[in-house]
Amino acid sequence: MQKEMIVASSLCVRFAKQTVLDEVNFKVGQGEVFALLGGNGAGKSTTLKTFLGTIAPQSGTATVMGMSVTKDIDSIRQKVAYLPESVMLYGHLTGVENIKYFLSLADIEKSAPDIEQALMRVALQKSAWHRPMSNYSKGMRQKTAIALALLREAPVLFLDEPTSGLDPNAIDEFNRLIKTLAADGATVFMVTHDVYGACQVAHRIGLLDNGKIVGMFERKDQAHIDTEEVHAAFSARSQQ
Amino acid sequence: MSVIKQVTRDEWRFWHRTKLAATIIIIGTLLTLVSAVVNTLEMQHASHEREHLQQSAQAQFLEQPDRHPHRMVHYGHYVFRTPSALSIIEPGVDAFTGTSIFLEGHKQNTAMFSDQRQASGMTRFSSLTPSFLLQVLVPLFIILIGYASVTREKEAGTLNIMITQGINVWHLLLGKYFALVSSGLLMLLPLIIAAIWASIKGESALITSSFVAGYILYILVWSGIVLAVSAINKKNSASFAILVSLWIVLCILLPRIGSSSAAAIAPSPSKLEADFAVKEELRKLGDGHDAADPAFEQLKKNLLTKYNVDKVEDLPINFRGTVAQYSEKKLTEILNQFAEKRMQEELEQAHIARQFGWVTPTTAIRSFSMLVAGTSLETHHRFLREAEKLRFDFVQSLNKVHQDNLSYEADANRNKNADATKAARVDAANWQVLSEFSFKPDTAQTRLFRSAIYAVQLFFWFGLIVLLLRFAVRRIS
Repeated sequence: MQKEMIVASSLCVRFAKQTVLDEVNFKVGQGEVFALLGGNGAGKSTTLKTFLGTIAPQSGTATVMGMSVTKDIDSIRQKVAYLPESVMLYGHLTGVENIKYFLSLADIEKSAPDIEQALMRVALQKSAWHRPMSNYSKGMRQKTAIALALLREAPVLFLDEPTSGLDPNAIDEFNRLIKTLAADGATVFMVTHDVYGACQVAHRIGLLDNGKIVGMFERKDQAHIDTEEVHAAFSARSQQ
Repeated sequence: MSVIKQVTRDEWRFWHRTKLAATIIIIGTLLTLVSAVVNTLEMQHASHEREHLQQSAQAQFLEQPDRHPHRMVHYGHYVFRTPSALSIIEPGVDAFTGTSIFLEGHKQNTAMFSDQRQASGMTRFSSLTPSFLLQVLVPLFIILIGYASVTREKEAGTLNIMITQGINVWHLLLGKYFALVSSGLLMLLPLIIAAIWASIKGESALITSSFVAGYILYILVWSGIVLAVSAINKKNSASFAILVSLWIVLCILLPRIGSSSAAAIAPSPSKLEADFAVKEELRKLGDGHDAADPAFEQLKKNLLTKYNVDKVEDLPINFRGTVAQYSEKKLTEILNQFAEKRMQEELEQAHIARQFGWVTPTTAIRSFSMLVAGTSLETHHRFLREAEKLRFDFVQSLNKVHQDNLSYEADANRNKNADATKAARVDAANWQVLSEFSFKPDTAQTRLFRSAIYAVQLFFWFGLIVLLLRFAVRRIS
């Protein structure tokens, strides 16, 4: 494996008496797309929130680029980009203004050509650049958020249900974009319950059930992970 | 620092583009401006009118023909107090107590011609003074502008993005705080202009700058309350409901509860009771108009002994004038005693009500504002005392004329016929007994010293807000 960018080691999270994550272990290397797949209540969002530092683990470790989420969360946050399920940037600002504003909050200055280049790279149509974001579709908002991540030069991307609510064309477009980013060296960690989408885009898939990793699927020489195999495992777990 | 500036700028951009907040800011600023201008014009008009009335009252008094001196005692005289320059913003108790008094013999009249007394019926509470706007309505405007400052970021999910992007929450809140404070300061602009105007008109710069600083502190406090509540809550609706409830409690209910509690803790007799008690005491003095009243028997004996004569007709002075002087002195002592007691009760009530500044910033700024502007109860009491001194001097001067310049015989027979009445008059030249009444505001040091504790109350509130914001930051982080 290439340089380890995201590592969960015996990660345990409990809410009151309920164990939400139970001895979770996985590693994600640089340039890899890792999908954490699971049904509702499996612990996907808790895993994501643990890496974003909004939930503290009771035991085990979670690191991003070698930094612990419990000790170095501020440094981690400078390096990662997070795309929530529904990307909501400022509706009163245009796409370009949103990018400029969020970059300024991170104390990053980028020229107008740099911003335009990033927007072209994520294939956001030019006519939308200077329109208020309140008129954007979910796919357009996602593209803007990814353009922001590109401009922030974030080496790690955390995505929460990225394809939920997108039409098939937008999903294809999104998957292509994620693959391109990974090819350029970005590490992508996504949580999803979309088996097909995860198989299309991920290098590896971790199947999470009741807070435990119960299966790990890997793309070897194929173009994508075997959907049927993952689907079967996912369904089997759902029926239990 | 640049992050704070960016957040402040974006907040303004948001207000500008969403129109609602911008509209509220414009309405708030215009309302305060219009109120300050109207109040200034009214004050100027009142000032000219007061000057005119003062002069004409004095001229009318002096133009009175030869008369019996005691008729001049009852003719009376008006004194007017020029309100402090800052009363264009903070009328304080002047609006209720008035700024002029009718001075006459045997009576201590209360001040008159207050705005509230002159207003009637529906118009009574309609006057929007700048201080009312700044103390009560501006906090509401700040709430309307800022209740969603942080909750809208939470509802939209942008706060999550910012936090996971590593933004310092203090910087975010400070940026929003400065935006909110600047919107409040915009509504404070008319006050700042009025304070400059007051300085030009001769008010101490120390006073005007302290006055403005007090209101800035008040804006800082309310902006902090609004931001902290918005930061602690998750929903716009919850933030709005809590803030409006807080506004009702802090700006409307608690100040009134303060006044009612003061009246309950330190009760003072009603006007009827007080008047009755005064009358009861005065009755014991005897009637000063009747020299034969047994109450003056001892005075009569003393005078007869002193001048070694057998009857009052042989005295070298007019006994009736002496009785008038003696009676007025005794009467004034009693009236002053009641007046001082009444003023002490009022002050005690004011002090109790002002302690509510520890539980509501509105009472803190109100107390501070009135004391610094020189429109407080303390100033009104000084006016009453100075006016009373003038009244006593003026009445006694006329009584002295009565005693020295009018013979007892002519005085005693004045009602017999027209000639006798004419004979019981003294020359109009004797009416030159009025001293010029010039009421000067308290010195800047006195006013600042009196208001210091209420500045401390405002700082206390500011400290609470800092703690509340720290709590909010920890909660968001």
